[in-house]
Amino acid sequence: MVRFWVAWAVSAALAGAMPALKVFAGEPSAASGSSAALAARAWAILQSKCLACHGDDARSLKGGLDLRTRDSALRGGVSGEAALVPGRPDQSRLYRSVTRTDPDLVMPPKENDKLSAEEVKLLERWIAEGGRWPNAGELWSGPAEGVRVRTSGGLTADWTQRAYDPADLWAYRPLTRPTPPGPGHPIDAFVNARLAEANLAPAPLADRRTLIRRLTFDLTGLPPTPQEIDHFLQDPSPDAYSRLVERLLASPRYGERWAQHWLDVVRYADTSGFANDFERPNAWRYRDYVIRSFNADKPFDRFILEQIAGDEFEPGNPELAIAVGFLRMGPWEHTSMSVAAVTRQQFLDDVTNAIGEVFLGHSLRCCKCHDHKFDPLPTRDYYRLMAVFAPVQFEERAVPFLPGEVSPGFDADAARLRRSIEQASAQLEALAQTHYQAGLAWLKAKGVDTSGLVAPKGAINPYSNVFAQLPEDLRPPRHLGLTNDEIGLIKVLTKRREHLSRSLSRYAPEALTVYNGPPNGYMSTGARNVKKPRPTSPGEVEVIHILAGGALESPLEPVTPGVLSAIPITTEPRREVTIPTTLSGRRLALAQWIASPENPLTARVIVNRLWQHHFGQGIVATPNNFGKMGRKPSHPELLDYLAQYLIEHGWRLKDLHRLIVTSETYRRSARHPARELLTQKDPNNVLLAAFPVRRLSAEEIRDAMLQASGELDLTMGGPGVFPLINMEAALQPRHVMGSVAPAYQPSPTPQQRNRRTIYAFKVRGLPDPMLEVFNRPGTELSCAVRDTTTVAPQAFALFNSQSSADRALALAARLQKLADQPPLQIALAFRLLYGREARPAEVDRCLAHLSRMKPIQEKHPPKPVKWPTVVKRSMVEEMTGESFSWDEPLDVFAEGYVDDLKPWEVGADTRALADLCLVLMNSNEFLYVE
Amino acid sequence: MIRRDFLYSLGSSLGALAFTSLLRSEESAIQRSALANPLGPRPPMHAAKARACIFLFMEGGPSHIDTFDPKPALEKLHLKEFQRQDRFASAMASGKRYYVQSPFRFRPVGQAGLEMCEHFVHLADVADELCVYRGCQAESVDHPTACFHMNTGNRLGGDPALGAWVTYGLGTENRDLPAFVVLPEQAYPQGGTGNWSNGYLPAHFQGTPLRPVGSPILDLHAPPTTPPGAPRANLDLLAELNRQHLQDHPAQAELAARLESYELAFRMQRTVPELLDLSRESPETLKLYGVGQAETDEFGRKCLIARKLVEKGVRFVQVFSGGWDSHDNIVKAHARRIQAIDRPMAALLTDLKRRGLLDRTLVVWCGEFGRSPDNGIRAGGVAYGRDHNAKAMTILLAGGGVTGGRVVGATDELGAQAVAVARPIRDLHVTLLHLMGLNDSKLTYFHEGRFKQLSQTGGEVIKELLA
Repeated sequence: MVRFWVAWAVSAALAGAMPALKVFAGEPSAASGSSAALAARAWAILQSKCLACHGDDARSLKGGLDLRTRDSALRGGVSGEAALVPGRPDQSRLYRSVTRTDPDLVMPPKENDKLSAEEVKLLERWIAEGGRWPNAGELWSGPAEGVRVRTSGGLTADWTQRAYDPADLWAYRPLTRPTPPGPGHPIDAFVNARLAEANLAPAPLADRRTLIRRLTFDLTGLPPTPQEIDHFLQDPSPDAYSRLVERLLASPRYGERWAQHWLDVVRYADTSGFANDFERPNAWRYRDYVIRSFNADKPFDRFILEQIAGDEFEPGNPELAIAVGFLRMGPWEHTSMSVAAVTRQQFLDDVTNAIGEVFLGHSLRCCKCHDHKFDPLPTRDYYRLMAVFAPVQFEERAVPFLPGEVSPGFDADAARLRRSIEQASAQLEALAQTHYQAGLAWLKAKGVDTSGLVAPKGAINPYSNVFAQLPEDLRPPRHLGLTNDEIGLIKVLTKRREHLSRSLSRYAPEALTVYNGPPNGYMSTGARNVKKPRPTSPGEVEVIHILAGGALESPLEPVTPGVLSAIPITTEPRREVTIPTTLSGRRLALAQWIASPENPLTARVIVNRLWQHHFGQGIVATPNNFGKMGRKPSHPELLDYLAQYLIEHGWRLKDLHRLIVTSETYRRSARHPARELLTQKDPNNVLLAAFPVRRLSAEEIRDAMLQASGELDLTMGGPGVFPLINMEAALQPRHVMGSVAPAYQPSPTPQQRNRRTIYAFKVRGLPDPMLEVFNRPGTELSCAVRDTTTVAPQAFALFNSQSSADRALALAARLQKLADQPPLQIALAFRLLYGREARPAEVDRCLAHLSRMKPIQEKHPPKPVKWPTVVKRSMVEEMTGESFSWDEPLDVFAEGYVDDLKPWEVGADTRALADLCLVLMNSNEFLYVE
Repeated sequence: MIRRDFLYSLGSSLGALAFTSLLRSEESAIQRSALANPLGPRPPMHAAKARACIFLFMEGGPSHIDTFDPKPALEKLHLKEFQRQDRFASAMASGKRYYVQSPFRFRPVGQAGLEMCEHFVHLADVADELCVYRGCQAESVDHPTACFHMNTGNRLGGDPALGAWVTYGLGTENRDLPAFVVLPEQAYPQGGTGNWSNGYLPAHFQGTPLRPVGSPILDLHAPPTTPPGAPRANLDLLAELNRQHLQDHPAQAELAARLESYELAFRMQRTVPELLDLSRESPETLKLYGVGQAETDEFGRKCLIARKLVEKGVRFVQVFSGGWDSHDNIVKAHARRIQAIDRPMAALLTDLKRRGLLDRTLVVWCGEFGRSPDNGIRAGGVAYGRDHNAKAMTILLAGGGVTGGRVVGATDELGAQAVAVARPIRDLHVTLLHLMGLNDSKLTYFHEGRFKQLSQTGGEVIKELLA
């Protein structure tokens, strides 16, 4: 904190003639209106909008115009026209350009920089009143209106002293304690009050059938089973709904569903992205940790501590070594092509921004290069926050498996990998032999004695072969004896072995984790990540500097670790936050600050995320941006009420879910009797007069199909499984640094393949095409809200894919097993997929379809299709510039693959029924929840 | 009620509708228009000749020194060794190194006398269409980050690609086809689909790869066990059920959009293979592009398809060609790559021109970075190559209102870095947008509280390229 006040004092001293500057954070400053204030404000606009091109660099003034002084403004630039004509805004080129009415005279040139209407008006008034430049004293009289915010200080005094519209600072102020504006359920009181103001009546409550489908998808990501629906519909007790809520909250499926939301935000994946896209073989333990945490209703404040600083918080706790894997969730790699300083900075930037986005609802990326344009977030804070992570070093550490982490199939899967590795090694060794023999012949022809050149056992890498012991000018040429295809194959096999060897670590009791220490030279390369041995002495902690313009080459002053200095904005004396400068303890102090009930952002941000997932739109519609440019809360008091509620209930998220889903607001029908009025008054349903309809997410679509078909395997946890994805995408060669990654092969058994989607192995460079078209987010950026777009490829994926066909067929077979007559089978299909009874007309229509499809199916009995056991691949080899191809074994299909039910195994009536099932699974009623 | 003009992707979606209201007074006009009707054609922001773009991306980093930017000074330094230690150099570029002269001869070609490597035989014939820009500078020496940077403006990926921005700005003129088409090799480039991502823009602007092997679009057809006639019959029932469902939900535009998307998908089963079928092209055209000749067939096909796509009103076509990462044996590897693209590229320009399309089609050729004048010493280091070089590269521009037969910018004596008209990738992007009639500063998308743009934080048009 010392640095903080010194910085402040320096800028205050710079202010020179300024009258005693009393700044209390949040205190409104002097009123506007005086000529001095007008001049100061006009000057502030010129400074921020014009001087970059017209003054800051006197040697290169755009258009020769210098706006630093009144004289030069009166003179104008090369146009010969005066920029400023005192008293005549309409004749002042400066004014005309900012109004943007003349297409040939538009300033500032960038649309995003254009002046606000208020600013234009202010300049007009200023010029009309003579266009006086402020004198030295006035210059620092501070902002004319708004409030100032105390921070650790910007890079310029202007920024440090700038004013904010109080309305933009709402998120930084302490939580209020609003009282619900009426009796009954507090959420309804807040929501209904707004509806009443807007003269809108809420929709009636939804019926039970709608409710159970809505709630079950919402809390578990799966549809209710017909039995569950019947049970709920027939339950006469008044607390039937709350018992339903309790059952779903207690279901392990709840954790799987809500962990997915969290994994979106933290960008979980099982690979590292970029050039090698290497596997992070132990990342799955973090995924399972998140699921466990949600299921156990871990207090959210503790969840924060564990992920940011679990290793400091409870050093011996294996669970927490896994939890801090959070810090490494972003895409990152360091290869031999990388610059160490650059990749280290990439990590530091990534983790700093992630902390801001995930917990504090602020992207901090802007602050990397400059003080925040809109929010009270100085660049200094960005680097102070980064300094918290300066001691963080990557490590894959032995961390014993926790109960439940070892899943069935571990050994078989590991054995399969070992066999593939051995096979690649054997091929490499054969190629090495070819080269070795050719080399020997070449040397003999030159008369060189080759008797000592015996290949040591296991020397299977043709690049570091036995000839290396010869003097350079005697060595045989590098690829002697090898064909173009073989040269390419060496690289392919070497890479394949690296990839597969990394994968083997999935089954080892290791954690993707971190520790505090001096830089350890970690590289993600080769079969294992390489780092220097962990030092025994503490060593020097990396010093973090402010980087001018975010450029590594331009370090400015060093900073000590700190938090966002503006927070909380309060007139009360606040507890100053100190982050230790020691090796250990920095992250814990930060995490404690974030997880404190006094932090105004944390509880609001998480409460908003929960609300958003329940209602499709947050109370703050920009869940990762609570700053000025984010949306203002639609129901600010409700937001604070919920935040307080969470804190008072020990940060337990299930309490909050319970509160939300028991409200009438949540239980309303999606169909509003006065739909047109509603569309007109509240087109985006911000006031929640009716419940918003939503399309299922990508994972829900897949999981719901599996559940309906009876194939869903509910095994929890363990290394990622490999569902059947589009096989053309799976087998397509995927470029990794100079070579190709091993083919994606589905897991051998249906039990493994047909688990919930959250357990599917997630490759950054190879998204499951079906999930991708249904808007599953990429893994580079934190995703707080998923899109739902409608594009033609969705129809391809859902209507034509092998996995849809498999699900439809499995459902058909299931229907036939459970009901013996087509009308009953159709009725059951409706219950499984739509959660309702089929209407007689629908049954008739479906029966007609079966009659239509059966002869078609009979006429074309399907021929069995075999999975390939090798895949032919080709690429351009960089060493030769020539295309080459090779066969890659697909061991999973060569041995022991257990297929799903296939059409050639069933009769035409089953296949016709599968046609119907496919249609129902593609229908809007299945894909949407209301 | 159901519109007859089927669209590749349909505008109305819950997300987009909800988002429209999130915009405040500052939002760009373009964003409103694009959200209301994502792929509807939109007028350019200023007068521009280019209405479409064909972007030829040479993955791996073609050497400017061995293609369009000869460096005779390297002849004197050839094989001279030196040491480099630099905190900002990768392990690859550090340590013991030696200079490498180009193994290729150069000669002036065209009326303007552009210097071109001897292996560009056919491209020499159209040299006067080419503007050779030698000033562009990348920032990253890693392939995926450099590819992301050139394709999306962001080294770390996740942002919308250039093609996504262009289609966001201009929509498309053929709504039965994707507006932004990618013609990748069988192996996708490093970074994968992130190179043609829609990023935070709506999914309508995502690049659609037409795969060269197997099904051009994944799951374009039902599995092989499906009887003929079954999909159509199933679609009829689906449409009926969806229409019934829609009647209960009159306000849901998205439901109607989904209904239509299935019909379009069904039609694309015919239109896409037609598009890729080159059998209706004349033998002369096929020969021109080198289709059917081993070394040029693959790239020739793609160039020809690119022309067909542009002809049909597709806005942005990106063609990938890999294998340019010649750390070793550049004499062989680069020669092969050059031969693979020489005839097809020349054909593309010739063909576009004779069809009157060149003027309205901007053709760009580049990689993710250039290559170094020197190389590291490796085992058996007799097959000279070059490492990555972010500081210098060559970009070719043709058509779309660009004046050909010119060289803009220059690299230093050795080709180590750009020294004249040296400009970052963001300025190149801003310039390409400008040539397409788009203003990077107006082509913004308000997302999570920030106006985002291709150049990230703004850039400047490279005026020298517009001359």
